[in-house]
Amino acid sequence: MSLGRVLRNTVIAVLALLWLVPTWLLVVNALVPAGSYSGSPHWLPRDFGLFGNMSQAWDKANLGPALGNSLLYSVVSAAAAAVIAGFAAFATIIMPVKRQALWFWVIYSGTLLPLQVFIRPLFLSYAHTSLYDTQTGLVLIYTAIAVPFAFFVMRNYALTLPREVVEAARMDGASWWRVFWQIHVPLTRSAMIAVFVFQFVAVWNDLMFGITMVTSRNIRPVMAALADLQGNYSNVGPPIVLAGALLVSLPTVVLFFSAQRFFVSSLKIHR
Amino acid sequence: MSTSVTDRRPPTPAGGPGPTRRPTRRPPLTQKWATARERVTAGGFMAPAVLLVALFLLAPFVWTIYRSFFSDTRTSPFSWFDNYSLFASDPALSRSIQNTLMWVVGTVALPFVLGLAIACMTNAGRFSRLARLCVVLPYALSGSAVAVVWNFMLTTDGAVNQVLTGLGLDSLAQGWLLTWPGNTVVMILANAWQATGVAVILFLVGLQSIPPETLEAGALDGASGWQQFRHIVLPQLRPVSIIVIGMSLVNGLKSFDLIWVLTQGGPGRATETLAVSMYNETFLELRPGAGAAIAVVLTVIVLAASWLYLRRQLDVKGV
Repeated sequence: MSLGRVLRNTVIAVLALLWLVPTWLLVVNALVPAGSYSGSPHWLPRDFGLFGNMSQAWDKANLGPALGNSLLYSVVSAAAAAVIAGFAAFATIIMPVKRQALWFWVIYSGTLLPLQVFIRPLFLSYAHTSLYDTQTGLVLIYTAIAVPFAFFVMRNYALTLPREVVEAARMDGASWWRVFWQIHVPLTRSAMIAVFVFQFVAVWNDLMFGITMVTSRNIRPVMAALADLQGNYSNVGPPIVLAGALLVSLPTVVLFFSAQRFFVSSLKIHR
Repeated sequence: MSTSVTDRRPPTPAGGPGPTRRPTRRPPLTQKWATARERVTAGGFMAPAVLLVALFLLAPFVWTIYRSFFSDTRTSPFSWFDNYSLFASDPALSRSIQNTLMWVVGTVALPFVLGLAIACMTNAGRFSRLARLCVVLPYALSGSAVAVVWNFMLTTDGAVNQVLTGLGLDSLAQGWLLTWPGNTVVMILANAWQATGVAVILFLVGLQSIPPETLEAGALDGASGWQQFRHIVLPQLRPVSIIVIGMSLVNGLKSFDLIWVLTQGGPGRATETLAVSMYNETFLELRPGAGAAIAVVLTVIVLAASWLYLRRQLDVKGV
């Protein structure tokens, strides 16, 4: 092995170790039974108290309803965004629409604006319309935020599809509705899945709307519950907080690694 | 720009837009009707997306701009640019600007350099795939979870101080989140720990799309490893680089959850960035006018940043 190779492998190993340390500490200390935590971080696993810690985190932060809520928000908003964006992409690319560029920018502009610019007007109008502190309210916001980027990906993908299939179907007298569901959706399925995964993760990870639009513990999403648990860090003890963080991260970690293929391919299209 | 997105358009009965419209032969009435119906149907397909965006994103955006010109008192009279002048007079906001700048530099440079290095070094080999996994893993965590992990590392009796004490470097042990600018720097590092993963993935996609023949030709011409990287790999990675920089820039500007869960912008208001200041002013200090002005300034910066990279991105894609 040449000197360069050795050097390179050493650098890789050091970087990987450096990166692994926080993850390793997260897992190891989430394993330490909360009662026997000594006050300073553990580096090696000894007793196995993970499930005990998780169930304590579950009780103290009311994680049950929070996980259910986040699942609802993520699934419904991501799916709705994928379909709604699919409609819009279909209309602007396949159907004869005037001023395509205008519509593109109207919808796409949403991705360019930071969330901070929407939050107070939405907060006020929610307070007026009794959408405040409701699951419907959050689903609507999350869907609206997800649509622009979903549209961008779906549109990029729709551009690469062969036009002839649609034209042939139209000649045969198929309605647009039918063309959409029976030709467009099957052809764009992989883009739709990518969009779904992206937006699922984004909604699952949201904190800001979760702490602003909600006061009830049985409506709030999971990151708001985690932030709350972290706020009680010294009372509950680190192992429980870490176990909670691990628990609420599992869905996205699993989804991310099982759908990495889709991430990569949609990023490729995206270029 | 607008021409670059008006692209392939199917031949329609009514003809294309403007100049390409069929010059002769007006369409018969039934066909006109059919075209009108097509339009309505197309409108129906677009309506949900357009309505959601207009109602939930664009209208609030306009309202926030409007609101930023009114003062914070109960009657909220029109106050010209008073809220914007806070950036010059309020020390918490100037600190926030400083922090935002630090975040921008730190969130662009670190993931870019580290991501590029790690992607290039781990592009081949089984051992490196494992190493890569270690770097990509944190990307799947949320900002809030990252904050929980790093709080555990950085608190006074946390892992970092424990290691320092163990190595006999007690003097270096400190309250990492307590003094500025150190607290902002460590949070930027925590952010880089998470964000480098996506840069690695993107750079790998880019590396794998470089045709091997190009590299072989370079090797035949006697280019050294570094020369190959500098003159062949790096230019080929330009499109990906632009995406990585743009993404990290915009994400860094908007990042909220990591800071909020780690320090809530404190101690005092020392670690606030614009994204956090906006929340703080609006919902905790109850100064909606100031909050709106901060949101508008943040939006302008994000838009400028997005413009820089979007322009390139649309070009690159060749839409």
